[in-house]
Amino acid sequence: MSFIHVQHLCKRFYVRKKRKNGSLLREKETVDALKDVSFEIEKGELIGYIGPNGAGKSTTVKILSGILTPDAGEVEVGGKVPWKNRKTHVQHIGVVFGQRMQLWWDVPVLDSYSLLKDIYRIPEAAYRQRLNELTEALNLGDLLRTPLRQMSLGQRMRAELCGSLLHQPEILFLDEPTIGLDAVSKLALRSFLKWENREHQTTILLTTHDMEDIAALCSRVMVLGRGQKLYDGSLQNLLHHYDRRRTVEIRYAGPDCMPDLPETVSMQKEGDGFRLTYEPEKLPTAELLSCLQQGGPIRELTVQPQNIDHLIADMYQEMGL
Amino acid sequence: MKAYLSVFRMRLRMETQYRGAVLGGVACQAFFGLILIAVYRAMYAGKPQTMPLSHVTTYVWLQQAFFRMLLASDAELMDKVRTGGIAYDLCRPIHLYGFYYARIMAQKLMGSLLRALPMLIFAALLPQGWGISPPASVSALTASLAALLLGLCCVCAMENITMAFTMRTLDPRGFQAMLNLLMMILSGNILPLTLFPDSWQQAITLLPYAQMLDAPIRLYTGEYALPQAPGVLLLQGGWTALLVIVGMVLWKQNQHRLIIQGG
Repeated sequence: MSFIHVQHLCKRFYVRKKRKNGSLLREKETVDALKDVSFEIEKGELIGYIGPNGAGKSTTVKILSGILTPDAGEVEVGGKVPWKNRKTHVQHIGVVFGQRMQLWWDVPVLDSYSLLKDIYRIPEAAYRQRLNELTEALNLGDLLRTPLRQMSLGQRMRAELCGSLLHQPEILFLDEPTIGLDAVSKLALRSFLKWENREHQTTILLTTHDMEDIAALCSRVMVLGRGQKLYDGSLQNLLHHYDRRRTVEIRYAGPDCMPDLPETVSMQKEGDGFRLTYEPEKLPTAELLSCLQQGGPIRELTVQPQNIDHLIADMYQEMGL
Repeated sequence: MKAYLSVFRMRLRMETQYRGAVLGGVACQAFFGLILIAVYRAMYAGKPQTMPLSHVTTYVWLQQAFFRMLLASDAELMDKVRTGGIAYDLCRPIHLYGFYYARIMAQKLMGSLLRALPMLIFAALLPQGWGISPPASVSALTASLAALLLGLCCVCAMENITMAFTMRTLDPRGFQAMLNLLMMILSGNILPLTLFPDSWQQAITLLPYAQMLDAPIRLYTGEYALPQAPGVLLLQGGWTALLVIVGMVLWKQNQHRLIIQGG
């Protein structure tokens, strides 16, 4: 059996709605957070888990980390059922909830770490070594003696990540770890995750809305929507399927130059140039170019692949999410 | 075990960081103490009671000194439960009830000790008829310290039950206001339990609220004679054990029907 084994997982929540005018009872609405989700993950994989807001991603992470009990389905992580063997299970996992805090607000992070050391019963020597390794990789050196409340968001995120990895978990669940980070912190975090995955064969399940994260890190993605798994495979394959459009930006030498284009191409005026979107499958690029040349002498032309966020938006739309 | 000691130490240290709050608390409690004593002095001037006035003033000062033990909950912990930050604690290899128990105890212990010492010094310096009297005897003091420790255990067990209920209702303010009112009246914080009618006292002193501070104070003043001490400690221990069991059951149930809100 695989390292993480999930079969027919279901979880339902009840949401109370404000009562309607004239009605005495509050309405109770059921929301199926997960409807029959199944997947297998092997040891050492780094997997991206994406889907629009409310798709059920966080619910999956909470079930896998033993916090929530599902309504139906089988889950085994490393041969154990998370919510039944909670205490032994959580000894081997690390979790980062991007929008919550695990470290203590008013005390230096080093104190929070030593509490974690006692919680996970990490031997002193292993703790020292791991802490050194992590402070170096996450560039935390000067921050260890700073109280959490005085850190910036990016610094806090790195400190939180270090806290989740001190006990060297075999599996790391990351729920939107790059929320609110600047470019430098994001890049640092990504290279750190790659390093951790390679160095320690840590299995990582990464939930995020940042497609750059996924593209940079994950060879495999799972797409979840409305509680169902919609795709499971490589990111290239997924994008290839939706990556049909190209964007062309063009500027002519003369002011009155104007291309005459077929209807399949959408065109907008932008500054002193134009921005066109076309699908190479419907209109070969060579044909487009000859159309553009007839419009007048071209001064500048760039062809761009579609932005990954747009692709995902198209995909969600096509999947009816 | 180390994890529980560790969180206990951490919370102790955190409590010592709010020194301004300690000063403010002491000033406020001293003011309350003086007002209450003025009221009881006026009452005694009109109609003396069977209980000596010095017992009443001592009762008031001890209540004020350990006020923080009864009526102060860990705001950060409550917030965690309310907003879902508790998710992190749930994925730790620890016994949640014990972990929170240690944390609550540290907060109550350090919070009240920091305030009690200056308060007691202040009360000892007040003139006769206003201040605190020395304990009935050295053994009475020893017995009352033992009772205070058990009282602390009892309060923490009670607080943990409140936490467990917060996880269900998600907003602690309503029933916390109610519980606090009960606590203030039935633990003797507003009116010393010793001044309640005798027939009432027979019932009230059996309740868990009377085990927290009232029992230790009565041992201190000698209201409870020394031979009564074992019985008092036994009653305290019994309530503590019962409240701990109820709390553990509630937490266990909570963990099964748990929902962490907000993504």
